Amino acid sequence: MKLVDHKKYLLEICEKVDRDLTSPTCRKLREHLSQCPDCAAYYDSLKKTIVLYRDYDVEMKGSRVKEILAQLDLEEPLHITLPAKHPDLHGDKKRTR
Amino acid sequence: MDDAKLIEAAKSGDKKAFGQLVKQYEQMVYSFSFKICRDKQKADEVLQETFINAYRGLKSFSGNSKFSTWLYRIVTNNCLMMHRKKSHEPVVSLEETDLFKGTEELQVAHWGETPHDAVLNKELKDVLDAAIQKLPVDYRIVFVMRDVEGFSTEEVGKSLKLSVPAVKSRLHRARLFLRNELNEYFTK
Repeated sequence: MKLVDHKKYLLEICEKVDRDLTSPTCRKLREHLSQCPDCAAYYDSLKKTIVLYRDYDVEMKGSRVKEILAQLDLEEPLHITLPAKHPDLHGDKKRTR
Repeated sequence: MDDAKLIEAAKSGDKKAFGQLVKQYEQMVYSFSFKICRDKQKADEVLQETFINAYRGLKSFSGNSKFSTWLYRIVTNNCLMMHRKKSHEPVVSLEETDLFKGTEELQVAHWGETPHDAVLNKELKDVLDAAIQKLPVDYRIVFVMRDVEGFSTEEVGKSLKLSVPAVKSRLHRARLFLRNELNEYFTK
């Protein structure tokens, strides 16, 4: 198709590709698309471009909470149960030399 | 516990509350980072940087916007910073490029059926990655925020400190650029 004749529509297609073309403001474009297979194909390909990028997502391979908290020195302290009267903690360890 | 309570608790030093916020938003942050960086390792680095920055700046979070919107802004800044540090990409301005220029005739072929989400194959993913990586990062961010993540033009503008016409201009050029890049793959 002659680009100059359709450039106006192609730009409009680009602007309105994510909208519902049934609205009254899109009437002219809608009419053009129904009569112009090239512009209709262009509209379709532009729409598919967006959908493909929207559908392409990635999942994390596991949580990063621990690493992030560790970097912030926020790691929860380990809960180790020590004997009530551990000599190292209470300073009454007998030195045996 | 809802976001507001978790944020308040985290602000007052509740470590578990911040951990809970990370847990709730890490997939969203990772996914958005990937969509901009197109690299899993970089996305992981951005994810960690984002939450570290978020924690350090948590006191400045006023609650006027959603926590997720605030996080998106931090991700965007981190992606831009990482890109500027690591990339040797020549600065291309699509503003100066007429995407239709030089073509008297425009060949418009039908793309036919495109595969859906579940069957996006590796080859197509590579094509999508390669195409968007050619797009200057400023345009990439606008496209991802507006068309992929579904933010409004006004929200994108506010987040990136751009006027609405500037967002629209970048978005249109990004859409046309990507469509043209993918055209060869779908019409070969």
